[in-house]
Amino acid sequence: MIRILAIILIVLAIVVIVVPQFTNCSAEGRTLTLENGKQVAMKCAWTARGEIATGVPLLVLGLLMAVWPRKQSTRSLSILAVVQGVFVILLPTGLIGVCMSSDMDCNSILKPTMIVAGIVTILVALAALVLNERKTVS
Amino acid sequence: MRLTSLTLRDISGNAFRSFVIIACAFVVAGFSLATILVARGATDSITLTQARLGADVLVVPSGNERTIEGALLMGSTAQIRMARANLEKVGAVVGVEVATPQLYLMSMSNSSCCSVPDMFMVAYDPATDFTVEPWLRKELGRDLTLGESVGGTYIFVPEGADTIKLYGYDLSLEGNLEPTGSNLDATIFFTFETAYEMARISATKAAKLLYASPDQISSILVKVSPGSDPGQVAKDIRAAVPGVSAITRPELFGSFREQMEGQRAVMLVVLAVILALALAVIVLVFSMVVNERRREIGVLRALGASQTAVFRALLASALTLAFIGAVAGIVLSALVLFFFKNALTEAFGFPFMFPSAGSFALLVVIGLAVALAAALAAASVPAYRISRRDPALSMRE
Repeated sequence: MIRILAIILIVLAIVVIVVPQFTNCSAEGRTLTLENGKQVAMKCAWTARGEIATGVPLLVLGLLMAVWPRKQSTRSLSILAVVQGVFVILLPTGLIGVCMSSDMDCNSILKPTMIVAGIVTILVALAALVLNERKTVS
Repeated sequence: MRLTSLTLRDISGNAFRSFVIIACAFVVAGFSLATILVARGATDSITLTQARLGADVLVVPSGNERTIEGALLMGSTAQIRMARANLEKVGAVVGVEVATPQLYLMSMSNSSCCSVPDMFMVAYDPATDFTVEPWLRKELGRDLTLGESVGGTYIFVPEGADTIKLYGYDLSLEGNLEPTGSNLDATIFFTFETAYEMARISATKAAKLLYASPDQISSILVKVSPGSDPGQVAKDIRAAVPGVSAITRPELFGSFREQMEGQRAVMLVVLAVILALALAVIVLVFSMVVNERRREIGVLRALGASQTAVFRALLASALTLAFIGAVAGIVLSALVLFFFKNALTEAFGFPFMFPSAGSFALLVVIGLAVALAAALAAASVPAYRISRRDPALSMRE
């Protein structure tokens, strides 16, 4: 069962890494024009980069959990996955953010995908933790 | 052995059966909730939009009925114009209590003169308006003045700015209206006076001229006097004012309602197919498992377990698994619908409003009940058969 949950974490990590790369405004050719005419990336582009930094450790963590589902390591990895899930949510909602307009893909797709992926990551990691602890008791 | 421990051992003893039943309940509960939520959310949004407009009858130039519906609900571009003189004619029709004009304009995006993306702009007459004025009186305690606006829930002042720049004109945002799930959420309201000033400024400061003539309006919103029949008033307006179409509140957004009905029917058919498949899979898997465990069940019966106890234990394990799957399905379905409501609105082509907490709780109970009832119905047949079997026969086979 722990292995199944680890595979779900791997899939979620891939979603966290891949989806923002195609749904941020820079990927769609939109940039911010400053007063001096210089074009700069919108903040959703930075969120997309940040999600790579949360997604890759989550991917490695899921792989480790799938390959070596030992009691002690699963406990630590599950707790780390919960923390990663929290940061997956925080990047588009608070730490960096996305563009404000509701009709932009970063607002209507990137942000909700990261929130849902983050919540599911937390729930799956907690389930793994609980199952792992039950295994320890028995 | 207690029923609970027997159930838990039963669940953990067969991973394949547990996974299949959890997966079936997950799909059934998730899809049931999604179907009801989408259908309910669309209807609620249309009703809220009608209520926000507040009109008993909407008067638009003939042939623009669908355009106005698309503009108000989905934000499609609407260049609807008719003579302002129609306002007086409509106001003179018997049964009309108030007739108020509105002018629909579209913003420009990707232009240095406009700081926000596409939005629907509505100019209204503060002297007669009943769409925005009740909210203004309640929230601001005053009317909007020149250069002021109120917006739907998605209207915002860009970061680092104090005003919204439209056609080179700086507009202050005084507040945001409650969400409706329709394009009214991405609509900005200001007075006719502001619209004319914006049009004047656009001639020198915008990449494109905003055309807003004092002789033209887009629609007339009508409130009928108490006791009058809106249907009859609409008929009288059509007869008195040539070249216009008068739509009563129940008829408004009729084409969207028809489209929604069609999509709802398709979703219900898909739900029925999913339910039937899930039932068949649960019956099959449960029959296989019960058949494999007939000796074990025979021993249990021989040791004194009653038929009812065996039947209950088997059903309890099916219900527990279905409950786990249903809760997971409901959680995921609700998360997706709540956070992706804007993307879904665009994909489905009709508005969507997430229901209130009370309505949502009721829908969750319905989704859970459907999944549990399906699992109960599917598992009870094989469970009943095996529990009624002669223990000696079960052990010998």
